[in-house]
Amino acid sequence: MNHFPEAWGRPRDEIYGAYNPTYLPSSLGGAHQPTTRTQSPIVTGTSVLALKFSTGVVIAADNLASYGSLARFTDVHRLKPFNKRAVVGFGGDVSDMQYLDRLLNSLDVEENYTSSTGDSKQGGEEGLVDAPLMSAKNLHTYLAKVMYKRRTDFNPLWNALLIVGLDDQSQPFLASADLLGTTFSAPSLATGFGAHLAQPILRRVVPNEAASRELSREKAVEAIKECMKVLFYRDARSMNEYSIAVVDENGVELSENEKLENQSWAFADRIKGYGTQVV
Amino acid sequence: MTSIGTGYDLSNSVFSPDGRNFQVEYAVKAVENGGTAIGIRCKDGVVLALEKLVTSKLLKKDANKRIATVDRNAGVVHSGLLPDGRHFVSRARDEASSWRGTYKAPIPGSALANRMGAYVQAYTLYNSVRPFGITAIIGGYDAETELSVDGAVGNGPKVGAGGKTQGVKEGGPFLYMVEPSGLYWGYYGAATGKGRQAAKAELEKLKLDPKEGNCISLEEGVKEAARIIYVAHEDSKDKEFELEMTWISSMSGPTKGRHEEVPKALREEAERLAKKSMEGEEEEEEKMEG
Amino acid sequence: MFRNNYDNDSVTFSPQGRIFQVEYAQEAVKQGSVVVGIVSKTHAVLAAIKRNAEELSSYQRKIIPIDTHYGIALAGLASDARVLSNFMKQQSLASRLTYARPILLSDITARIGDRAQTNTQHYGKRPYGVGLLIAGVDARGPHLFEFQPSGVTVECVAGGIGARSQMARTYLERNLDEFENCGREELVKHALRALKDSLSQDKELTVENTSLGVAGMEENFKLYEGEEIAGWLETTFENKAEGETGAEGGEGMEVDT
Repeated sequence: MNHFPEAWGRPRDEIYGAYNPTYLPSSLGGAHQPTTRTQSPIVTGTSVLALKFSTGVVIAADNLASYGSLARFTDVHRLKPFNKRAVVGFGGDVSDMQYLDRLLNSLDVEENYTSSTGDSKQGGEEGLVDAPLMSAKNLHTYLAKVMYKRRTDFNPLWNALLIVGLDDQSQPFLASADLLGTTFSAPSLATGFGAHLAQPILRRVVPNEAASRELSREKAVEAIKECMKVLFYRDARSMNEYSIAVVDENGVELSENEKLENQSWAFADRIKGYGTQVV
Repeated sequence: MTSIGTGYDLSNSVFSPDGRNFQVEYAVKAVENGGTAIGIRCKDGVVLALEKLVTSKLLKKDANKRIATVDRNAGVVHSGLLPDGRHFVSRARDEASSWRGTYKAPIPGSALANRMGAYVQAYTLYNSVRPFGITAIIGGYDAETELSVDGAVGNGPKVGAGGKTQGVKEGGPFLYMVEPSGLYWGYYGAATGKGRQAAKAELEKLKLDPKEGNCISLEEGVKEAARIIYVAHEDSKDKEFELEMTWISSMSGPTKGRHEEVPKALREEAERLAKKSMEGEEEEEEKMEG
Repeated sequence: MFRNNYDNDSVTFSPQGRIFQVEYAQEAVKQGSVVVGIVSKTHAVLAAIKRNAEELSSYQRKIIPIDTHYGIALAGLASDARVLSNFMKQQSLASRLTYARPILLSDITARIGDRAQTNTQHYGKRPYGVGLLIAGVDARGPHLFEFQPSGVTVECVAGGIGARSQMARTYLERNLDEFENCGREELVKHALRALKDSLSQDKELTVENTSLGVAGMEENFKLYEGEEIAGWLETTFENKAEGETGAEGGEGMEVDT
């Protein structure tokens, strides 16, 4: 018989059988696993790219939503215009993107409770009428708080976001927020695979803030389109149809059905070591 | 009002021996002194208009907006106790937003009116609260075009199972009025506040019944609304007032399905015409007398 | 005399559709010392008379800065104002934290308005016994709002609440057209003159009993008290003295010494 103190006052195993610990968490020898929430994204979108230029920002993302390695949905638009000063680009889980889009929708409805004048849309007489419109910077702060709250609850929204547009001073604004609640800002940003493949190219175009202030809109769009092409060459979760948006003082210009042009797969010949190639 | 003082009018939710809830009737009195508010349901949209009496010279002009936006596609104008109106509006916004949360689409006008009717009615049930001292007019536009579900991705199948039905049209302009009792009706033209009798008389002259055909257009509605507010103001002519007007059309109309303030230029034009028609009537009267 | 049966609580309408408890609460505002506010195209100012309970006691607080861009002036129950101002501070901070933007004055005013309305529709609550002037500058420019215990809020070009404030409002109405294009200093002087008009004969504006709050497009809301306002008091009534009767002007001068 066990005379050690841990057995004092307990039912004796030889009479009552061993203690049944299954209701306890696994750390105490039971069968219960800890509560878990989202552990991985399900249907996903790949990279989002954005680049600041002298008077605005350009952003792009392809129209594919993958289910694992399956190209499941091919008409998914991952750039969501918030108002005429801000666009959000979504990488990562598509259902979480839908949740955030609904959140932004209700935020927009609330924003319009107070500023629903027909005049302001047509420019208005005073410049001040437009001023309270939520800026991209305001929107980024808000989304970053949402993302951080969710990760702190151990229930992250599995996305990498780029928020682009104009800030309170109507200057070009570009910043990211991700599932960890991390925020970052730079003249060029890319999420997902793009962070590895497109960002070096974009940094060659705008090495710093000063360079982005000199960059023309045409050059910026061209650079982004070039990066989308490189991503399509090398990212197996990408597609040749994509959305691209430009935000500047004139508002948002969004095109959701762009196709990659002037592709050149000549380099593919030289790649060795994959599939059934033997030479 | 013969039952005043018999004790049945001191508490909400109490019936008098002849089946009346006096506190609700008294709440109606609060409405009857407020500025005139009207709504007109036109062929292609809704106009809401309000006679805003200027109680002090110190008030900022064109600032104190009282017609509220509830959701993108609906607005509320009310007459009576101002703070009660804001309570009503804030509840309407909550209802619209909770509907979006559940159904991922904007709330239909009928459902909004129903929910608000129920909410206002609840404030006649308990002696721990008082009824709303307002009558509210809810106007808006239920989309006819197929709206994408909030946050939807992709477009779904274009034909076949799960595909779209061609040419289906629902929705259209809506107008409801909720009273302090919680009672509500749908209207072609609704009026409340001090000048409601005069306003109603004018509304009845308009062609508003779609069944009878050639129902007035939204642009005509804006001009009529301005005129009617001016007519309703006749009885309190000595007091200054501001005209506040909002409108809403379909996606293809001037407001693109949104509830918005009537643009300044259009409002001023409508006011000019309203004043002109008032003067015209006076001249006619003078002629008759002459 | 008939006793009024309809004035015991805020959930009973009178046969005329009035709520007496709310009207009585408005009376509490009239018991408080006067505060005024004015806006121009570029500035918003608040001015207030502070009372002291007795000679040796301190003066009450009449102007409370809420956020860097705005503040409030109160008339009525100071403790109710403290509850409201705490709420306003929280809401203002929340706006800065979640959106990185200063709260709009119209927004914060609507929020306290909604809070006050709740107190007028439920049994067991009482209306707030305080009126507020909310002044400052936000993304839409300078603003002045007035808040009443009923939950009514209005935006004004100028306003005054509290004891004998009708006199201040008369002054403000008379000079209404000047305010829009007023410079900072001139606006402050107008506020002080309006304030003075509401004082009883035996009272004067002094550095002890006067409070000022100023906000502008280029400056944060700041509270000015004590010696900081000595200059303003001096220049304001120096100029005015010429136009006024000799006796009153003389009194004005004496205070400054």
